[in-house]
Amino acid sequence: MAASWFQNPAPVVRRVRAYFAPVNRITGVPVLFDPSEQATFNLVAPPSPWIGLGWIEGFARKALSKSAAVLTGIPAGALEQVRSTLEAQVSFEFLSWTKLTMALATGSQHMNVLAPASGAAPAADGAQASPAVVVQAGSTASAIVLNATDAAKFAAGSMIAVDGDYAGQTGYVGSPVSGAYVRQALSDVDYIRRVTFNVGLVTQVSNGTLTLAEPLPGGTPAAGAKLQGLVGFVDREGGSFYQEWSGLFVLQGSQGERVSFYYPRLQPLSGAEETLVALDSQQKGGHARVLLKAQLMALPVIDPEDGERVLCYRSFLPAANALV
Amino acid sequence: MQNAKDSFYAALRARLAVINPERTVLLRGTVRPGILVEEAEAPFAQLPNDVFVLRWLGLGADLDLAATMASEECEVIYQTCGTQSFGGLDRGRALSAMDEELLAMLQPHYTPKLNYTVQPSEELLTKVFWDDAAFGPVVVQRDRLSRTAKVLVYSYQEQGE
Repeated sequence: MAASWFQNPAPVVRRVRAYFAPVNRITGVPVLFDPSEQATFNLVAPPSPWIGLGWIEGFARKALSKSAAVLTGIPAGALEQVRSTLEAQVSFEFLSWTKLTMALATGSQHMNVLAPASGAAPAADGAQASPAVVVQAGSTASAIVLNATDAAKFAAGSMIAVDGDYAGQTGYVGSPVSGAYVRQALSDVDYIRRVTFNVGLVTQVSNGTLTLAEPLPGGTPAAGAKLQGLVGFVDREGGSFYQEWSGLFVLQGSQGERVSFYYPRLQPLSGAEETLVALDSQQKGGHARVLLKAQLMALPVIDPEDGERVLCYRSFLPAANALV
Repeated sequence: MQNAKDSFYAALRARLAVINPERTVLLRGTVRPGILVEEAEAPFAQLPNDVFVLRWLGLGADLDLAATMASEECEVIYQTCGTQSFGGLDRGRALSAMDEELLAMLQPHYTPKLNYTVQPSEELLTKVFWDDAAFGPVVVQRDRLSRTAKVLVYSYQEQGE
């Protein structure tokens, strides 16, 4: 008779996959990951609003929570333990440079370098931008409709940022991801588009419509949204803003088992750092790949199940037919 | 361990049939995908061109686990002289094509383990999995280019195996 179960040793994995979703900074609500309903998701098509950031290297978790003993008696002996501090950290390296991976691997806000206006004075964050154009009705997350004159300013290969004008507001700005916290009113009408995560790559311009390689993270542009070209990204060492994301790290085992680490709230722990890895370990002076190094601190949430304050959830889905 | 070897070969053969259906070999009167296991065929005086040949080499076992894990080294050998229509001048391109096919065949890095000694074959409980291939340098013999790639294939021993 064929066996109906097996003893599965410790999971064997090749790589770790990372997913992030924006914490709603205004309401302070992280994105949930439910291991009962979502843990078997297709690794290349995560459930919304999780964004897959591909494979990562050097994934390391540090549990830094401390316990202290309650001592009683003479001489004193430990009666019980209490948890005196809650702390956990995660570090890893991204294998690609994108808007989101750069932002997660920097300590403060991450900015888009908008295409400069003609003759604008130089600035470290990028010069005054060329004027934004109005996004027309009928646009979608993947196809931005402009009037014909505006559309002619863009071509396949253009990078764009889409968001509203800055109108002097304070607090968190950027949609759907809060890209910065404005403490006092600024004068740059393009500021929100400088910090927005709503960016994309144009693959085609036809009949006044810009077709994007991937949908905008924010979905269909809101009414009143404007569009500007961008040439790259810039971030700074320093500043007072901390990004906050929900993080999910998935280890796929060789037998189909899956380990998921869900951090409801993660904030950058250090400024931007890079790690250089030689392409050929025999040639230290040769080409090297520059990896973005992310170091994140976990912040606690209250688990509504029992009111406990927690930093991370580790879930394990055993392989089919493995002894549990 | 034989089930793991059989499953690895069968997986690569099925994948090759999809990746490049035109790569075939006539063996014992039957046209099959162009991949074979050397130890399961009559000895070759000369390995066939434009075909992937699997040769099983080293063996290791970790007995300290809940289930014994075997690791077996598979050497994949392939060679080409290019095509007659180009007078062999495309032999470099032909070898590159085989490199790409092998890379594609090895992904994903796992396959179910099956027992092919029964009819129909029976799916077992565990999976066979493997590492990335380590590609060796091209070897030039007159007009023939050849390469070997080594893959470590892992499997767990199940009850009754």
